[in-house]
Amino acid sequence: MAALRSFGRRGREELWLLPALAFIALFYVLPLVNLVARSFSGEGGGLSLDQFRTILATPAFTAAWINSVLFAAASTAIALVGGLLLAVWTAARRTRLRAALLAVYALPYTMSGLVVAFGFVVLTGRNGLVNQILGLMFEGGPFVNLRSWGGLLAVFPFYNVPLAALILTPLVEKLGRDLSEAAAVCGAGRVATWALVLIPALRPGLVAAGSLVFAAMMNAFGTTLAITGFSKNLLSLQIYAQSSDSGYNLPLASALAVVLMATTVAVLLVIGLIGRRRT
Amino acid sequence: MTQTLLRALGGLIAAAFIAYMMVPIALPVIYSFSSVWQGILPEGLTLDSYRKVLAGAQYVPAIALSFQVALSALLLVAVLAVPAAWGVYRARSPLAAVMRQALLIFPMVAGPLILAVGYLLTFNRPPFDFSGTVWIIVAGHAALGFPFMFRAVLADMETLALDRLTEAARVCGAPWWTVWFRVLVPNLAGSVISGGLIVFALSFGEFEIAKMVGGFGFRTLPVLLFQSLREDFRTASAVAAILVYVAVLGLIAVSLLRARTTATR
Repeated sequence: MAALRSFGRRGREELWLLPALAFIALFYVLPLVNLVARSFSGEGGGLSLDQFRTILATPAFTAAWINSVLFAAASTAIALVGGLLLAVWTAARRTRLRAALLAVYALPYTMSGLVVAFGFVVLTGRNGLVNQILGLMFEGGPFVNLRSWGGLLAVFPFYNVPLAALILTPLVEKLGRDLSEAAAVCGAGRVATWALVLIPALRPGLVAAGSLVFAAMMNAFGTTLAITGFSKNLLSLQIYAQSSDSGYNLPLASALAVVLMATTVAVLLVIGLIGRRRT
Repeated sequence: MTQTLLRALGGLIAAAFIAYMMVPIALPVIYSFSSVWQGILPEGLTLDSYRKVLAGAQYVPAIALSFQVALSALLLVAVLAVPAAWGVYRARSPLAAVMRQALLIFPMVAGPLILAVGYLLTFNRPPFDFSGTVWIIVAGHAALGFPFMFRAVLADMETLALDRLTEAARVCGAPWWTVWFRVLVPNLAGSVISGGLIVFALSFGEFEIAKMVGGFGFRTLPVLLFQSLREDFRTASAVAAILVYVAVLGLIAVSLLRARTTATR
């Protein structure tokens, strides 16, 4: 009651933060602390690097690590190029259409990863539409393989390109006209305007989008699991396998998760540094 | 000439991408209404897939469970995020700044996978023994959804300068309940509802946390879809279509709400 009454009076504003801070402590911080602690604990307790030694000594794990970084990096590159193109196109639309487009770009965020898996199995799966249509025109087949790396790389732009476009469109809109006019007045050509003026000016947005996409791709496993099962060796899938019923080994899963988090943080720091570098 | 050509090319690429975006949205829906889809075009219009969902003993409980989880996550997030947004908006303290930063960084470093492993380690023993309850999935979905509601509500508070409104009401002699029900509730309803719809839709379709911490006891609709993808593709199509409907309806509601609030401002 007193809290309701005092709403908006100066002096005790921090109290309003308490429920959320308690939630963050219990459901973000504590699980992470436990996870890190468990990854460094040995068989009989005490501090140990055994789990990490196991990871480094197991070729499947080191391969998964490399695959994950390459896959996330490739996905990020696709997302940034595609997102930038889409943002430039979207920013040039009329207000109404632009608002509608931005609403559509927000849709993938709440779309279940399994729905996406279903859609692409129907489109590009073994007996999917694309293979059937190509089968009418050419001999042989199947022509596209959803369960290959290329197939997977074609699925995730559904999430990543609109996400990047959502971040970049307002920036392109704000910067685009003024800066490109200024550059044109100074006699810069199209390519020069992009390379020297627009891309550097968009760098904060590119860094934000790139970081979000890279982190999400390092963590993603649901859609991949539904499409390929365990046939693709990714760090996220290894962590899932170690923490689900088949191969239950939570200390190992924790150590793999620490590797994944450390890698993600390192890459995000590098992306941040590139973004901050002066030209 | 090159200008027009470039513009046409840009439009073509964008149209192709938007068509690509419609694949996971449209194909499950078309599939779910067709009786056969062996060739290139689907054949026959039928509701059989949906009948199978309603008849299958496992699907109806899964739909109910997903509703329960999504609604609980929504309520939990609202209870946490609205006061927190107000605290951050008003308090110029380091604590508020820390929270803003934490909410930017945490979701990137600890995605659903990492959270789920952490939950498996943390909540299966005292003092926080939640294993075998549905609340651990709810908490995970609330953790994923919290930043959305928080940001939406905080942005609304900032653009409306809500503290001036409450201050003005109070100076005019309004009692606290008037401040609440005539100033705060009507002004924040838009962002709370649209943030809540996003949390609901996110939770309803979420697979990774639900699969990892739900175990065999709690199978939400996406977890069941994962199983049906291997066993019964036709029923799976109806389940996938239901998930599409929830996500799309949520999005339409959010867009209408946003359009209305911007129009009245």
